[in-house]
Amino acid sequence: MSFVPGIGIVKGMSLTLKRFFEPKATIMYPEERPDVAAKFRGRLQLLLDENGALKCETCFQCAQACPIECIDMGGMDTKGRFHVHWGPPETYGERREESALRRAGRTVPDPNFAPFDERDLSALDDVLERFDHDPKRMLEILEATQELYGHLPVAAIKKISQLTGAWYAPIYGTATYYGHLRFESPEAKAQIKAMAARRPSEDWYLAGLQASLGGGPGASGASS
Amino acid sequence: MTALTKTWDQLTLPGKALFILIPLLAFLTAGGVITIVLFGGLIWQAILDHLEIVRLFVAVLALVLIFIPFAFVIIYMELKVIARMNLRIGPDRVGPWGTLMSLVPGLKVLVKEDFTPTRADAVVFTWAPVVVFATSVMSALVLPFAPGLYGRDLNIGLLYFFAVGGMSVVGLLMGGWSSFNKYSLLGGLRSAAQIVSYEIPLTLSVVGLIILAGTMSLNTIVQQQAGWFTSWYVFRQPLAFLIFFIAATAEANRTPFDLTEADSEIVAGFATEYSGMRFGFFFFAEYVNVFIVSALTTVLFLGGWNAPIVLPWHIALDINPGSYGLALLFFVALVPVIGTLLLAAPVYLMRSKTRWWVALIIGFVVFNVVAGGLTFLWAYISFDFVAGLLWFLGKAFTLVFVFVWMRGTLPRVRIDQLMGFAWKWLLPAALLNLFVTALAVLVVNAWRGGLA
Repeated sequence: MSFVPGIGIVKGMSLTLKRFFEPKATIMYPEERPDVAAKFRGRLQLLLDENGALKCETCFQCAQACPIECIDMGGMDTKGRFHVHWGPPETYGERREESALRRAGRTVPDPNFAPFDERDLSALDDVLERFDHDPKRMLEILEATQELYGHLPVAAIKKISQLTGAWYAPIYGTATYYGHLRFESPEAKAQIKAMAARRPSEDWYLAGLQASLGGGPGASGASS
Repeated sequence: MTALTKTWDQLTLPGKALFILIPLLAFLTAGGVITIVLFGGLIWQAILDHLEIVRLFVAVLALVLIFIPFAFVIIYMELKVIARMNLRIGPDRVGPWGTLMSLVPGLKVLVKEDFTPTRADAVVFTWAPVVVFATSVMSALVLPFAPGLYGRDLNIGLLYFFAVGGMSVVGLLMGGWSSFNKYSLLGGLRSAAQIVSYEIPLTLSVVGLIILAGTMSLNTIVQQQAGWFTSWYVFRQPLAFLIFFIAATAEANRTPFDLTEADSEIVAGFATEYSGMRFGFFFFAEYVNVFIVSALTTVLFLGGWNAPIVLPWHIALDINPGSYGLALLFFVALVPVIGTLLLAAPVYLMRSKTRWWVALIIGFVVFNVVAGGLTFLWAYISFDFVAGLLWFLGKAFTLVFVFVWMRGTLPRVRIDQLMGFAWKWLLPAALLNLFVTALAVLVVNAWRGGLA
């Protein structure tokens, strides 16, 4: 663009003139109150239950809902759970990278969880590579993962969440929606069923029911 | 005695004020009446004998009085306009829409301590703001506000304006030098350098116009621009207008050339040591200067009091109130009542919920607006100087708006840029304008002479 002397002044003046006629966004505070949600309290506060323990479940829903990303949680308590504190994530240097992950909506790698669910997740990398880490192909990824492990381990879902960038909760929702995806292996499921069947009260209850109805549980019996 | 003090103590504050004021007013009125009765003829004769001197005094008094509301309007305008340009609302608490906001700094300055630094030159220190303000008022003396509404119609009006206006440098230097503060002194020198530098292109840019006009009387210059707006000098001297406007910005110490007291950079330049009303006078003079510079630009380039268009028809209202006699009294007494009732009737009849007194109040307000508008229209049509004053003030305040607009937009220049711009660009441009104008006048005259 050719240089015209004084064109910058003209541009600036026209901008300020435009600003002059623009409507102003000021809210006249004492007379007008801003229209905020009914639950809005204007400050962060963690509530304690009657035993003096934090009610917070560290579900991170508040952190994910916060539009200005001022809520974060960090630290561990003595039971290996999140010890919750809040404020700008920059103040917790030891978890800075995790804060970044969490604010991006990703699952944070949790070293305390690893010993409880030991599993070799290196095969999952190939699966994700095959589907290009594409969260839109989540169903295919989950099916391939189930082929690998026989079911969907929590550690695998967490890793998928980390590497695809999809949030843990939608992946979990996808997995629960489809009947052919399962979270336990068939053996584990059978074990759970056996444990449930071993409840002593059930036999007594079913016997009483049978006696009162005057017949055995048929094919349409709902209790099994 | 105790009964008197007791009664005095029981009076409220307004009561005490009235107790003093009413006898005082009675005394003054009686004194005035007696003076007029006894020496009225002599005083009238003295006024008639020295009419020019009286006219000068009245003009100066009127100017000083009229500049107070002008300065307040400009201050309010500046607060509000810059706020709106910054996407803010601006003052809105003091008075309706914050209109009384500009009184607040004025009152604040009034009640502040009037402080003179130790070892300052007290006399010069005191007179510096007076000199600055007096030059503003004195230079406004030649401004023609409307047909017949000017202080003096000097035949060297423009020269007088620049000569007196240039004297404000003296005031600034006085303030800077007498403060006994090296920063004040530097600030004074700096502003003197700036104003003297810009005085030259300012004056030179007008010389071309003087050649065209053939006179330095501002009144005559305005009269030459009568008629359609195409006869304004801005269309014959556009370069001069540009140079004049830029140099006038620097003369009035306005952004982007407000290095004299760059409020966000240095403390206050020459006015560092000033406080109270003396400081207030510097600022007052600054805002008055903004108006005066705008007014002069209007007079020289934008046609002064002339309307931009000439209506093809001529409306003449020949109303002589004296000719109606006693009917006028009935008119004055009855028309407000009838007008109020007539205007209240539709409001009352439109909604059955409206109370009669609400309708009457609305009718009264509407009648006042209508009557005021009609009176205004009548004054505009009937009196030249009302129309002229309106056009003149409208143009001048439009230019004031442009000054404020520039302050809201442009960043401040550096002192070397300021000086370089004045000497390297404005001065050659002004000289070019002068030479081209002179050449054009010569050529046109020769051509006309050749034809004749």
